[in-house]
Amino acid sequence: MHEFLLPAFLNLLQPLNIFLMIAGLAGGIVVGALPGLTATMGVALMVPVTFSMDPMNGLVMLGAIYVGAIYGGANSAILICTPGTPSSVATTFDGWPLCQAGRADEGLYTSLLSSSFGGIVGSFFLLFLAAPLAEGALNFGASENFWLCLFGLSTIAVMSADNMGKGLVSGAVGMLVSTVGLDPNSGAPRFTFGIYEMVQGVAVIPCMIGLFSFSQVLFLIGSERQHIADYRPRKGTFGKIFSYLLTKCKTVLLRSSIMGTLIGILPGAGGEIASIICYNESKRWDKDPSRYGKGCIEGVASSESANNAVIGGSMIPMLTLGIPGSAVAAVLMGALLAHGLQPGFKIFTATGELTYTFIASQFAVNLLMIPVGFVLCKCMARLLNLELNMVAIGIVVLAYIGAYAISNSMLDLWMVVLFGVVGFFGVMVGWDAGAMALGVILGPMIEENLGSCLQLAQATDGGLQTVLAGGFINKILIGALVLSLLTPFLLKWKKARAKASEDDHA
Amino acid sequence: MRMFRLMSLFMVAMTLTMTVGLARAADYPSKQINMIMAFSAGGSSDVQARLMEKYWNKYANQRWTFIYKTGAGGALGFAEIARAKPDGYTIGGLNMPHIVLQKLGQNAQFDPQKSFAYICQVVNDPQCIAVKKDSPFKTMKELVDYAKANPGKVTVGMSGKLSGHGLMFLDFKKKYPDVKFADVYYKGAAEQNVALLGGEVMVIFGNLNDVMRATDQMRVLGMASEKRNAFLPDVATLREQGYDIVSDIRRCFAAPAGIGAAELKYLRDTFRKICNDPEYLADMKKAGQPAEYLDGPDFEAYVKSQYGKAQKALEEAGMLKK
Repeated sequence: MHEFLLPAFLNLLQPLNIFLMIAGLAGGIVVGALPGLTATMGVALMVPVTFSMDPMNGLVMLGAIYVGAIYGGANSAILICTPGTPSSVATTFDGWPLCQAGRADEGLYTSLLSSSFGGIVGSFFLLFLAAPLAEGALNFGASENFWLCLFGLSTIAVMSADNMGKGLVSGAVGMLVSTVGLDPNSGAPRFTFGIYEMVQGVAVIPCMIGLFSFSQVLFLIGSERQHIADYRPRKGTFGKIFSYLLTKCKTVLLRSSIMGTLIGILPGAGGEIASIICYNESKRWDKDPSRYGKGCIEGVASSESANNAVIGGSMIPMLTLGIPGSAVAAVLMGALLAHGLQPGFKIFTATGELTYTFIASQFAVNLLMIPVGFVLCKCMARLLNLELNMVAIGIVVLAYIGAYAISNSMLDLWMVVLFGVVGFFGVMVGWDAGAMALGVILGPMIEENLGSCLQLAQATDGGLQTVLAGGFINKILIGALVLSLLTPFLLKWKKARAKASEDDHA
Repeated sequence: MRMFRLMSLFMVAMTLTMTVGLARAADYPSKQINMIMAFSAGGSSDVQARLMEKYWNKYANQRWTFIYKTGAGGALGFAEIARAKPDGYTIGGLNMPHIVLQKLGQNAQFDPQKSFAYICQVVNDPQCIAVKKDSPFKTMKELVDYAKANPGKVTVGMSGKLSGHGLMFLDFKKKYPDVKFADVYYKGAAEQNVALLGGEVMVIFGNLNDVMRATDQMRVLGMASEKRNAFLPDVATLREQGYDIVSDIRRCFAAPAGIGAAELKYLRDTFRKICNDPEYLADMKKAGQPAEYLDGPDFEAYVKSQYGKAQKALEEAGMLKK
């Protein structure tokens, strides 16, 4: 490994590579910030361009786009309450309240610095621990993924602690929505109501654009406001946030980044789940969990560091085993193969210089992201100064383009409208759009994995119980799930006790 | 006089129209051709088409515009090709046996026997039976003997029930009813490979294209093809080992049915040139794509024969959509 590191870093100093990293980052951030244009799409569209490039330059650029796009999603999550990519759902929970409180700049800088930090932690694992971690990831089978997704879903209970009932109903409706389309286990069409196009199911992104963007636009138009939110940037905020993250947030950042990396390694789970789980954990372990959801820096930091840490993690099984850890890693693997590079442990020796240049470029990209992202997020924050009507039209146009571009389907546009209306009226009666999005995202994964478990159970002595509850990892995950479900009650109990002791003293 | 003028004008007009008409057929293609992909950008089908594009640009003067119409295991994109105007400016990639199974099992909006004018087959990706490297099964015979002695205990991972893997499973079950495997379905090749390497399933029915990347960790017991494959020449076919199973996934390109004969001929000729280009074949090999050319009429005959077989297999399994 050491013999490749020096040439790898020297390769990075080539002007072309530096240019490609900056261009890839900038392009990625814009793609990520536009609702509907996801990291997967951004990287996939550039793959054919790399065919005419040297494989090294091509990979460096694709990696930069990936990093930029995952970070970029946070900008729209904070500024217009619309996750730019599915990985940024959890960023809206605290980013949007920050923006509404006129502290958008704090949210934007937090997301930038946390993303960069998470990305560096992920790359660190990729560089030093790829082989053992990849072997470990293989222990995550259908049952483990099933419990992990349920654990992610249990976030709803913590997220909407003051009104768990409505949160659970929202999540359940989301899961119900996700059952439309082809049954993942038998391939039979369900709930298509005779409309053939419905076999594609409710795509996650149009549904999210509807629930978050479209309903938000309806809400904003209905309000008396002139602007989305007041924006009062103050001098010195960047430095303040930087030192806040380094001192008060270092545990949150480190925990979220490490967990994000580990979740990224799992082939079934990507940034969508990682950011939600890490947000949940930050809230659970915080001294005062009630701050979360009201515009707290830690919330944005945990979600954003986690989803960027996923990048390094998702490349570990892709490079070592040829098993991509996320949808974008799958596209990157396609690019590797098209360039004639076979993934496998050999990739670190046979084509070591190329592989290590790519890994080293991930470090460089995450550092370069701070200046590039700083300039771009300042530009994007100007959005808040524009008149609301213009912004609303702009959001709807972009949302439509994004939703249509996913699979060139008119049905997806109807989904945007439908879920926009559901989101708008749902919020009025206390539904939780975040919980519903979780249901839609996690529903299919839970179903697929449960289906595999049921089939495995037929061939296992002890049946389903052994499949689901056997094994060390399953037991840990079940324990975590129970703990997560009990959290709201524990919090209530803690509060009551604190109050009681106060009363005693008084 | 006026009559003559009218007549001559008419004649001139006719001649012009005809020459223009002739010129149009001869000039095909005179604008960009839409290439509909039913699978997402960056996937295996897309990478293959992009390699093909490189050589298309060498032989033809008009480029392709890629349109990704994804979802429902490709069925929506395939339907889009079937519905397109048959003017030669919209073509796309199709997969077998997907198009047949989607028609039979899900009432897809196209008919593989009627909706398409097949240009040619470009990839034949045979299915393999593979186990983990440290598995006790060294040969097909050991695997089958164990499965006979322990009915329902050997787990087989596949991706999707209504898929090439599922069809191979039905075929195996029918031909060798005393070998009882337990079928487990996963979302895709990645999940399936994890399940095998992590020890969740003992065996997989996987595509060569997915299996050969992991030959460090997997042992391929047999290949469900007629002859051995150049990517894994040491692996015997199932037929060689006494199991009459041939199953594969094939990719082809097609235009909507009703395309003009001249346009179809141009497309078939150009694709044949690409498929015989040694540089293209070298690129395909490098990218791990098992290239196999079959011309349009032969592929159409293949689709027809597979349609009958799949119909019978699904009917017996009760999976036929009425």
